[in-house]
Amino acid sequence: MLRVGAITKNYASVRALDAVSFTVDRGEIVGFLGPNGAGKTTAMRAVMGLITTDEGRITWEGEPIGPAVRHRVGYLPAERGMYPRMKVRDQLRYYTRLSGLTGTAATEATEGWIERLELTEYASEEVQALSSGNQQRVQLAMALAATPDLLLLDEPFSGLDPVAVAALSDTLRGEAERGAAVLLSSHQLDLVASLCSSVVVVNHGRVVLTGGVTALRAASRTRILQVTFADDTEWRPDAVEVRRDGTTGYEVRLDEERDVRGLLDQAMDAGPVAAYSFRPPDLSEIFLSAIAAPEST
Amino acid sequence: MRDRWSMVVLVAGRELRDRLGRPSYYVIAGLFVLLILAFGVGTRLAGSSAPGPVDVAVTGSDAGAMATSLRAAGRAADRTVHVHRSASIDAARQSFDDGDADILVDTDTRAMITADGIDETEVALVRQAWTVTALRANLADAGLDAAASARALQVQPLDVTSRTRPGGADVTAVVTGTLAAALLFISLQIFGGQILSGVVEEKSTAVVEVLLARIRADELLAGKVLGIGIAAIAQFTVLVAAGLVALVIAGTDMPGAIWTAVPMSLVWYLMGFAFYAMLFALAGALVSRQEDAPGAAAPVTTALIGAYALLFVIAASPDSTVARILSVVPPFAPILMPLRMAAGSAAIIEIVAALALLVTAIVAIWKFTARIYAQVLLRRGSRITWASVWAIARGADQP
Repeated sequence: MLRVGAITKNYASVRALDAVSFTVDRGEIVGFLGPNGAGKTTAMRAVMGLITTDEGRITWEGEPIGPAVRHRVGYLPAERGMYPRMKVRDQLRYYTRLSGLTGTAATEATEGWIERLELTEYASEEVQALSSGNQQRVQLAMALAATPDLLLLDEPFSGLDPVAVAALSDTLRGEAERGAAVLLSSHQLDLVASLCSSVVVVNHGRVVLTGGVTALRAASRTRILQVTFADDTEWRPDAVEVRRDGTTGYEVRLDEERDVRGLLDQAMDAGPVAAYSFRPPDLSEIFLSAIAAPEST
Repeated sequence: MRDRWSMVVLVAGRELRDRLGRPSYYVIAGLFVLLILAFGVGTRLAGSSAPGPVDVAVTGSDAGAMATSLRAAGRAADRTVHVHRSASIDAARQSFDDGDADILVDTDTRAMITADGIDETEVALVRQAWTVTALRANLADAGLDAAASARALQVQPLDVTSRTRPGGADVTAVVTGTLAAALLFISLQIFGGQILSGVVEEKSTAVVEVLLARIRADELLAGKVLGIGIAAIAQFTVLVAAGLVALVIAGTDMPGAIWTAVPMSLVWYLMGFAFYAMLFALAGALVSRQEDAPGAAAPVTTALIGAYALLFVIAASPDSTVARILSVVPPFAPILMPLRMAAGSAAIIEIVAALALLVTAIVAIWKFTARIYAQVLLRRGSRITWASVWAIARGADQP
C-alpha cells in the first residue's frame, strides 16, 4: 500500500502541498483529481523522491520510498520524457534496464509491450517521428514495462484517441488485477468514474474530497431530478431553481430531504410528462462542487 | 538488486552509442587528422625544398678568377651558382636591374651590390669566393705556382651537428607539447559543448524527470561524463597518433621525453575531460533552453580559454616559477602540465601533486554538481544564476 501521510511542500510564497494524505492499495485504481495547479504533479513528484517535502512521510508497504522501491514504481510524468532522436525500441529497453531488469528480461518486456500497445510498426523509428498519441503510448510502455508494483500516472490519457483510451483502460484494469496499486490523474472525469474505485480531489494543495466513487455519489446530499415533457411546456415549480434544456427538458437540483413526489405532481399538472429520472450527482458534479466549496480554515 | 555501478554503465553505454552514431563524430576526427597530416607534409616540403640558384653578375679584371671561386664555393655549400660575366660595370648593372642577378660584384672597385632581402647565406658564399680569389692572387704575387696555391687553399670543411644542452628547453619538445595541448583544448571544447547540450536536451525534454525517477543524480552524471569521455578519448587518441605520424613525416627528431609524454597526455586528457565535463554539466543544468546554454557555460569556457592562453606564456619558459605553480592548479593543470612534461621540465613531485589535486577536485565537483543537479533539473523557465548555485547547494534557495 502507498501511504502518503500529511505531506507539506512550500515554495517561496506558495504552499504547493498542505498536509496532503491519501492511500492507494494494491489492486486499486485511484483517481487523483484537481484543477490545474492544484498540486497533483507536485504530490506525484514527492512520491517519486524528485522533490523533498518539508513535512510528512511517504511509505510503500510501510517502508520509506528509497532507490530500491523506486525501481518497483512505474512513473509517467505529465510531460513526455523521451530522447527525440532515440529509436522507440532502444528507448524502451534503456528505461526498462534502468528500472533494474537484466538485458534478457528487458528485451522480453520491451518486445511484449511494443506488441501490447500496438507499436510494432514504429519500433525502429525515432521517437520524434511519431505522432503525439503514439509518443504517449511509448511513454506508457516505459512506465509499465518493468512490471511495477505501483503505477503513478500523470495524465495518462492525454493525447490518446477513444480507441486507445479504451485499450489503456483495459490495460490498467489488468495491472490492478495483477496486484499493482494505480494512482492516476486525469481531467476526463467520466473516464475516472468508470475506471477508478476511488478518488482523491485536491485544490490549492489540499485534499478537499476523498472516498469511493459510488460511496461519494451516494453520500452526496444533492439529488437531480430530470423531467422531459411530451410537448413544449412551460414549467415553473415552487421554491426550486430549474435549468431548462431545450423546450421540453428540465433539470432540478435539490436536497435529498426535498419532497420529490410533490414536484413530480407539479410537473404532471404543467403538462404531459414523457420521461423522468431521479439520481445522485455524477462524479463531475461532485468534483465541481468540491472545488467550488469555500476553503475551510 | 540494484547496483550503482551498473546504472552508471547503462547511462555511459547510451551516451557512447549516441555519440558514435553521429556522422559528425567521424567528420570532425577525419578533418583534424587531415589537418594534422597536412601540417607534417607541409613542414617536410618547406624544410626539404632545395634553395634556388645563386645568381651573381661579375665584372672587372679578375672576373674570370672570381667566377671560378664562386662555382667552387657553390659546390662546397651544395648550392648552384649562376655566374653572369659582364664586359662592363654598366652591363653588369643592367643585368642586376633586369633581375637576372641578385648580387653584383665588381672586382676592380671591390664593390658588392645585393638586392633587398637577399639571403645572408648567399652573401656569405660570395664573400668566401672573394676571399679565395684574393688569397689566390696574393699567393701568385708571392711566387707560388697555380698547383701550390691550390694545395694551400685546400681546406677540409667542419662537420657540423646540433645538440641540446642538458636541462635546456628542447624546441621540438615544446612545439610538440604545445600542439598536444592545443588538441586537448579543441577536443575539450567540442565534447564539453556536447555535455552541455546533452544536459540541456534532457532538461528541456523532461527526460531527466523520467531518469531521476529511476537513478540517482550522481549516477546519471557519472555515466554521462564516462560515456562521452570514452568517445572523446577515442577521438583524441586518433588525433595524437596522427600527430606522431605527422612528426615522422615532417622528419622531426623525436625528443626522448615524448614517449612518456604521449601516454601521459592521454591520462591528462581523461582528467581534464572529467573536470571540465562536470562543470559543463552543471552549467547545462542551470538553463532550460539551448540558446541560453552558451551564456551559462561562459565561466567554464573562460577558464578553459584562460588555461589555453597561459599555455603560450608557459611555452616560452616552462621552468619558471609561474609555470611551476600554474601547472599544478586544477583548472590549468590538464593543459599546462602535458606541455611541461613534453619539455622534460616537470619534476615527478609536481606531476604527482597536480594529479592528486585534480582527482580531488573532480570528485568534489562531481558530488557538488550531482547535488545541484537533483535540485534544479526539474526547474524550468528562466536561467538560474551561478551566484544562486551556492544557496541551492546549501538548500536555502527555493524556486
